[in-house]
Amino acid sequence: MKALVMRAPGTNCDSEMVRALKTVGFDAPLVHINDVLREKNLSRYDVLVFPGGFSYGDYIRSGAIWGKKFVAVLKDELRDFVAAKKPIVGVCNGMQVLVEAGLIPRTADYPEAAMASNSLGYRCMWTWLRVEKNVCGIAGLYKKGEVLRVPIAHGEGRYTVAPGTEKKALAELEGNEQIVFRYCKPDGSPAGGEYPWNPNGSLSDIAGICNPEGNVLAMMPHPERASFFWQFPDWTLGEKREDGLRLFKGLAGSAGGKSGRSI
Amino acid sequence: MLYRVEVRYKKGVLDPEGNAALDALRSLGFKADAVATAKVYLIETPSSQKDVEEMCRKLLTNPIIHDYSVSKA
Amino acid sequence: MSDPELVKLSRDGQLSLSLEEMREIKKYFAAQKREPTDVELEAVAQTWSEHCGHKTFKGVFLTNDGEVCNIFKKYIAAATKKINAPWCFSVFEDNAGIVEFEGDWLLSFKAETHNHPSALEPFGGAVTGVGGVIRDILGAWGDPIANTDILCFGPLDFPDSKLPAGTKRPQYIHDGVISGIQAYGNNMGIPTINGAIYFDESYVGNPLVFCGCLGMLRKKHYVRRTKAGDVALLVGGKTGRDGMHGVTFASVELHEKSEETSRSAVQIGDPIEEEKIKRAMVRVREEGLASGTTDLGGGGLSSAVTETAQRTGGIEVHLDNVRLKYPMSEAWEIWISESQERMLLTVPPQNLERVTKIFESEEVEAVPIGIFNSSGKLRIKYKGAMVADLDLSFMFGSSFVQKTDARFTPKTHVEPAFSQPKDLTHALLKILGMPNVMSKRRVIQKYDHEVKGNTAIKPLHRAGPGDAAVLKPLDDSWKGAVLSNGFNPEYGKISAYWMAASAIDEAIRNNAAVGGRRFAILDNFSWGTPNKPENALALLDACRACYDFGVAFNAPFISGKDSLYNESPMGSIAHTLVISALGISPDVRKCVTMDVKREGNALYLVGETKQELGGSHYYKSMGYLGASVPQVDKEKAPAIVSALTSAIDSGAVRSCHDLSEGGLGVALAESCFAGGLGADVVLPKGMRSDFFLFSESNTRFVVETENEEKLKAAFKGLPLLRLGTVGGKRVRVAAEGKTIVDAGIDELRDAWEGVSK
Repeated sequence: MKALVMRAPGTNCDSEMVRALKTVGFDAPLVHINDVLREKNLSRYDVLVFPGGFSYGDYIRSGAIWGKKFVAVLKDELRDFVAAKKPIVGVCNGMQVLVEAGLIPRTADYPEAAMASNSLGYRCMWTWLRVEKNVCGIAGLYKKGEVLRVPIAHGEGRYTVAPGTEKKALAELEGNEQIVFRYCKPDGSPAGGEYPWNPNGSLSDIAGICNPEGNVLAMMPHPERASFFWQFPDWTLGEKREDGLRLFKGLAGSAGGKSGRSI
Repeated sequence: MLYRVEVRYKKGVLDPEGNAALDALRSLGFKADAVATAKVYLIETPSSQKDVEEMCRKLLTNPIIHDYSVSKA
Repeated sequence: MSDPELVKLSRDGQLSLSLEEMREIKKYFAAQKREPTDVELEAVAQTWSEHCGHKTFKGVFLTNDGEVCNIFKKYIAAATKKINAPWCFSVFEDNAGIVEFEGDWLLSFKAETHNHPSALEPFGGAVTGVGGVIRDILGAWGDPIANTDILCFGPLDFPDSKLPAGTKRPQYIHDGVISGIQAYGNNMGIPTINGAIYFDESYVGNPLVFCGCLGMLRKKHYVRRTKAGDVALLVGGKTGRDGMHGVTFASVELHEKSEETSRSAVQIGDPIEEEKIKRAMVRVREEGLASGTTDLGGGGLSSAVTETAQRTGGIEVHLDNVRLKYPMSEAWEIWISESQERMLLTVPPQNLERVTKIFESEEVEAVPIGIFNSSGKLRIKYKGAMVADLDLSFMFGSSFVQKTDARFTPKTHVEPAFSQPKDLTHALLKILGMPNVMSKRRVIQKYDHEVKGNTAIKPLHRAGPGDAAVLKPLDDSWKGAVLSNGFNPEYGKISAYWMAASAIDEAIRNNAAVGGRRFAILDNFSWGTPNKPENALALLDACRACYDFGVAFNAPFISGKDSLYNESPMGSIAHTLVISALGISPDVRKCVTMDVKREGNALYLVGETKQELGGSHYYKSMGYLGASVPQVDKEKAPAIVSALTSAIDSGAVRSCHDLSEGGLGVALAESCFAGGLGADVVLPKGMRSDFFLFSESNTRFVVETENEEKLKAAFKGLPLLRLGTVGGKRVRVAAEGKTIVDAGIDELRDAWEGVSK
């Protein structure tokens, strides 16, 4: 299995992403975006990964330059990849890229959502995530309602839709079971938009979302920073968690082109 | 031709930077009712205004949260 | 030129050279039978600057007991030499100190100061401070893996009406500096895992910004063999008029007009450019293509090229090749520009094409600007003319010896007399909320301390403040790199010697508290002008302590930096020596955090509590300074630290927290609210209980254990006191049959977090 981990100038969460992918058995080459755009050969990979960082300095808008550049050169290839039900994962800046590229919440020529500035500015902190009822095969190893610990580190992670369309957009996302992770309180109860449980003010506490087909996953929290027990904040209490690694194990399971499924 | 592109948040979109500036101004004793932030690009190009508007739609804004205006600078 | 004319030239040209030095230059050019060019004057001024030449440290101190020569060599370097640690790989040689880590992996460590630029433009000053120290790591072939930042500001509530003209509000400087550190470290993807923020009125006009960076490299990556014939390759951003005279400006005291005259000393940084340079540098080092490298920092091309050329014996530079941001007609501006995000590589000609290609593929410009030779000369050509032709032996052979007058009789201090307050709960809550003690969570969360996914022990241990951070940087090893720091300017107001001793003790005990050992340390001095004998004597005393306690703890200095002339219209800053410690943990799984873990566990106090409250936060909370500054016991302190290490290794320690500002009271409260559990503690007889609770005696820890016998065995023959047990949700302290502190852990945490009731 081959997972293409891409990097643009300013990408900086690639080494931990490669480590997590290798741990679950992927061959995970790290390739500069210029080489990806030159080769124009996405089909030889089983998985595409957009890791976190500050691609192109996040100038204009976070993830915008990378997202637009990618689509400008590889639009058809990318759509073929999505249509073939192959998984695409974007974490943090990678989520911003997928939204700007028009792959999340669904394939579109113009973005149908935005990753706006956090209501309280940049934060690096550990959050609690509740696994929602979802169609995302990548998250298939999690049980619905399970509470995960995963850290965030971003300034622009507030999932936002056009003003006035919030209700409709939410109904659609929920109807399609596209909301994969929501920020929550430690006991799993809703964050209700309240800081620090919802760290950025995102719509309906959304932390991670997939496309209606379930093979494109975008999330602000960093599972690759929560993959080994010693990365967790409470490990000296004796807990041995690997919440994030289970996402990558799920990714490995769904990487054979299997279709999404409901849990 | 030099164009001036202004990118603003749509009405109803939270503007944390604007709010922070508003709070700070008030804390310094200034009178202020509202602060909104906007980004300005000055673009030197032989393209038409229509093309510049396309630049806005394609890259410089996210139409979900932004409005823009283009003028000749 | 007459002497007054020479002095005027030095001042007007911002050369910051003394009359003796100007005379030396005059003599050299008289012998050459020509006038110096602008480039030559600037080049000499850079090389001879305090920043590059460390003239104060390497000069002579006049004291009441005679002359002391070269305090750097006599105390700092001497300690390292005496310890002679076999695991030191490179000390004081490179841009960073380098020590062994695991297998052929090395760690490089460096801290810099960026004080004056941060006073004028806090965001830009901090940005370039962080960017600069990261380049120090790159300049010794390291891949940066962690940042540390220690910041000193004026009190945030300092009244505007008392601000001297031209001085910015402490809150503005504070916010700007923190944003700058955030912007650079986060965007480059380097976790900021350790630091401190300290407030004192003496920093109102002259804040301090210490930026540290830790790097990693393999032994084979360390290349330092530039030869005649190698190409000087300038890589990175374009050169502009940024940061002119940053080096010489560093040695000028800040004044009302500094902002207008010195604005050009501050620059804009671009972390993404540096991230790209880092990627390319790592590839070049892994392919073994270069023969050497150094960063462009203070003094720009002038310092980087000249210092490298000194090793090969000469260079001819073609300044026309330097890529400029905009046309610059003056060669000297190009030569000393301090534009950010630039590195110098030296490349054997046969590898030039490959190296250039690597930089191109990372979208970084790389241009050859000269060829090293063995002519003994620094020759610079620009627009067809020779704009500099200097003997390197002259540039590096200055006979000038700075004389610093340190003849001063230290002030005496008195101990305050007051009776024990009735309510020590109130005193404890007050100290927890003092700016130097209270939570820095809001700042810590602005820094990405998790990026790279290697942070095993984080800056916050659950809800409380960690003593040191631990990285696990290698996938195939459990070995950890442990970072901590120590400093206490308040003690320096009483004794610079004990301040320095305490700083070393604190850095080391913080490190040991989580399980670190084998300490390598950095010394970063920020001081008021050494032209005042009081400051000069304090500097000398601090260096003496560095020798005494570096040797006592077997902790070699591997790199350091001095920033003198930290003055403002409000006077000199408090003497500030920051010690950064780099330890190792053989197995991060054995590391310990400061939060209490389990109801019923026993709590012990390690170390000896003396009536040492001079400079303490207890005294400070009542407006006193006092005289009884904490000392360090040269024999017992290292023994206590190594006993703690054994205790941690034996598994007897469930939590451990060092005692610093606020003493036992604060440490106990922090450990308890961090762990979400209370404690019942009884103080021993023999000392007034408020003094025992808030004494800041060094080398002490609160330790939680499930195995008291094992713990006692580790500390056999050393001071160890059973305090009580963990449990409940309140912290209760009793002394002589009376409860002297009784507070809920939520109340303590809220006081520390600054939550208003």
